[in-house]
Amino acid sequence: MDFQPDLPIPISYVSGRYLLFSIDAVTYLRREHHICGVLIGTLPQIPQQNVFLGLPLELMPEEARLLVDKGVACIVDEAKAHDGMNTLLEEDRRRYLRDLESQGLHVSRIQSDRKERNREQTLKKLEEKKANAKAKATASAAAAQTPTVPEEATSTPSPKNAAIVDLFNAEDRSSSPSTALASTPPQGAVAITPATSYPPLSTPPPSSHLSAPAVPPSYPLFAHLHSKGYFLSPGLRFGCQYMAYPGDPLRFHSHFLVVSYDWDQNIDIMDLVVGGRLGTGVKKGFLIGGAQKGIDEANSEADRVDTVRAFSLEWAGM
Amino acid sequence: MADADEDVIHAPANASTQPEVDLSDETQDFRFLNHLNFFADSSPGIPRRGEKDFEPNPTELQADVLAASRGAMHNALSYPRLHGAKTRVIAFYAPDGYVPPAQPDRAKPKAGEDGKSSESTPKPARPLPSSARISPDACVYVPSPKGQFFKTMGQADSSSRVWLLPEEALYLIERGSLDIRWPSPSAGPGEEDLSVPMSLQAAYACFMGRGGLTLERYSVYTGLKRLGYALVRAPGWCDDIEPQDTDIPDASQAAPAKLHGPGLAGILGSLFNWIHDPLSTASTATGPIIGTGIHRHYMDVYRKLAIIPWYDPVTAPERHPFDTSPPFRVVFHIYKPSTPFKKSAPPAPDFRIAVVSTRDQTTMPTMTQLGALLESTPLDPPRGEKMERMMYMRLRHGYRNVVMAVVDQGVVSYLRIADSAFGKEKLYENKGGPQGPKRSRTNQKPRKR
Repeated sequence: MDFQPDLPIPISYVSGRYLLFSIDAVTYLRREHHICGVLIGTLPQIPQQNVFLGLPLELMPEEARLLVDKGVACIVDEAKAHDGMNTLLEEDRRRYLRDLESQGLHVSRIQSDRKERNREQTLKKLEEKKANAKAKATASAAAAQTPTVPEEATSTPSPKNAAIVDLFNAEDRSSSPSTALASTPPQGAVAITPATSYPPLSTPPPSSHLSAPAVPPSYPLFAHLHSKGYFLSPGLRFGCQYMAYPGDPLRFHSHFLVVSYDWDQNIDIMDLVVGGRLGTGVKKGFLIGGAQKGIDEANSEADRVDTVRAFSLEWAGM
Repeated sequence: MADADEDVIHAPANASTQPEVDLSDETQDFRFLNHLNFFADSSPGIPRRGEKDFEPNPTELQADVLAASRGAMHNALSYPRLHGAKTRVIAFYAPDGYVPPAQPDRAKPKAGEDGKSSESTPKPARPLPSSARISPDACVYVPSPKGQFFKTMGQADSSSRVWLLPEEALYLIERGSLDIRWPSPSAGPGEEDLSVPMSLQAAYACFMGRGGLTLERYSVYTGLKRLGYALVRAPGWCDDIEPQDTDIPDASQAAPAKLHGPGLAGILGSLFNWIHDPLSTASTATGPIIGTGIHRHYMDVYRKLAIIPWYDPVTAPERHPFDTSPPFRVVFHIYKPSTPFKKSAPPAPDFRIAVVSTRDQTTMPTMTQLGALLESTPLDPPRGEKMERMMYMRLRHGYRNVVMAVVDQGVVSYLRIADSAFGKEKLYENKGGPQGPKRSRTNQKPRKR
C-alpha cells in the first residue's frame, strides 16, 4: 500500500495526452502529491458500467506540468519507447514469457483454491441441510401422528442429497489431484495481459524525456490552489474550469468552482452572476483568480504562482 | 452548508429508483467494490453512492476511512486482466495494417502460427479488392474469433480472420476480453512460440492516434460500449478528407438518407406553403397588415399577422457529412442495445454523435458550424401518437438531431442538439391548448365571443 515507486515517475505521452498505467504510481501520486487525474479505462472485473473506472489515468497537462516541475515525474513518448519491442532480444522474450507464466500459475492456483473453498462451503451447507432434514424426519416419526406418506416425502430428499454429496466428494477427490497436475504444465497457467510494458522494456534514459507540457493560462491559479492543499479536477461538466476539493475526492465534496482570469482581463459582470449563482446553488463557492505577473514579466511559471490572488463569491441569503 | 449538502446526497440513496442521479458524475468511494465478489458467476450490481465528509479534520477515524478507501481503490485498479483457457481469444497486432492472407488454404486451419509468420515479412498493406470491406485502419486480427463481441465488432476477411479497428482492439484488451500478441520476429514452424503479449500500455501507445483515433473519441466509444451500445464509425470520421475525393462513401451512406429526406421534406414543404400563404403578407407596405377584407374567423387574422419569417428545418438543404467543420462532425453512429444490429448491413443509427475535445476547441460552436452539423444529419421529424398530441415533446424532439460529446480531460458530457421548429407550432390553431391549465382559458373563450 505505502509503496514508493522509483522517481521520476514516467508519464506516458500518448497522442497528445498524458496517461499513467502503473497502479503504484497512481496511488503514490494521489497519496503524496494530491494528484488525482481522471480514470478513463474499463475495470476488467466489472466491465459493463461507468461508475467505477480503471486504468489508465488521464492527467491534465497542468497536473503533468506540476509533477515535472517538482521533479517527481518525467514525460515519455510512449509510441517511440515501444519501438523497442521489435528489437527485444530472444532471451529477454523468454524470460518475460516465463515470468508471465509463473504469474499466471499463481493466479490459477489462487482461483482453484477459491473454488475449493466455495465447494467446501456448499458441501457444509448441504451437510447441514441433510442433518436438518433427518432431524425433522426423526422428529416427525417420533411424533407418529403424521401419516406415513409425507414422512417418506420428507425423507426422500436426504438420500438424494447424500448422493449429490457423494457425487461432489467423488468429483472433489478426483479433481483436486488433477488440478494440481494440470497446474504444472503451461496450459494450466492463466494468460495475463499486463498493465504496463516495463518490463519487458527497460526504463527509457533521461535523454529521451520530453520537455515539460505546455499549459493553459490558468496554470498559475491551478498550481496556487494545489500548493494550498486542494485537490483539483477538471470542471467543465460542472460549469467551471476546475473543481477544488478540500481533501481527496474519494471522501470529500468539492468546495469551490474555480475559474481563472488574466490579471488585466475585463470580467463580464454576467459571468460573475452566473458563476456565483451556480456555485451557491450547489452549495459551493465560486472562486476566481489569476496571477498578477504576466508570462513576459516572470522568469518561470513558479514565479507567477507566487503572485496569484484568488477571490470567492457567494450569494448571501439564497 | 454541510447538512444541506448531505441531504441532497441522501435523498436519492433512499429512493433508489430515481434515474436522474448520474453516479459517474462524481468520484465514487471504491470501498463499495469490496462488497462485490468478482469471482462469483452472477454479474454484480452497481453499488450505491456513499457518504462523504465536508472537510478534512485531524481525527484518526477520518484518516482510517480515507486510507481504507484508497486501499480499496488500489485493489480494484490492480486487478489483473486474465484469460482463462476456455474463454481466451488470441489476436495479433499487425503494425502495417491489413494484409491479405498469403495462402488462404494454409491460413485457415492454423492461422495462429502461419498467419503471424506471414505478417512479419514486409508486405505492401494494400487490401485486395475482394476484401475491400476491411478498413485500412484495421491493425489487429483475430485468427479464431469466438464470443459475443464479434457480433458488433470487426470485419472478417476471406480466411475468416476478423480484423479489428484500433478502438475495437483497445476496448477489448482493456476489458480483459482479448489477448493481443506482438508480431513475433521469427517463428518458424518448428520453433518455440515467442510472441509476447501486448500490455495495456503498449496497446494505447500503438493504437491511439492511429487512423484518426483520438483519446477523446476513444473515451466516448468505450464509455458507450460499456453501457451496451453498438458503435460504428461514421463517414465523417476522417478530419482531413475533402468533399471531392469522397464519392464512394457518399454513394453508400448519403444516398439512402436523401431518398427519404427530400421526399418527406417535399410533402411537408408543400403543406407549409399551403398553410402559410405568401400573398397574405404582401400588402404590409401599403395598408393594414390584416388587409381590409371581411374576416369571418380569428384564424385568418392570426395567419395574416404572422409576418416574421421563420426558419423551417424541413426545407433546409441536406448537407454532405464532409461539408462540416471538424470537430463539429458526426464521427460515430450509435445503436441502442435493443436495435437489431447486423455488422454487414448496419441499420439507420439511433443516434449520431460528434466528439469535441475541450482542450482543442475552447469556444462554443458558431451558428454556421452547428447548422452545418445538424444539416448533415438526415431529417428525423417527430412521429408517433404521443408526439402528435404533445407540443412540447415535439419541440424538444426537433426535426434533426445530433448528440455532441464534450470531453474535458476524460470527463465526458453528452448534449443533444435538436433543430426545433417553433414556427411550425401555430398556437392559435391549437383549439384545446397544449396542456391542462390552459383549458380553463379556452372554456372562457366562447363566452367572450
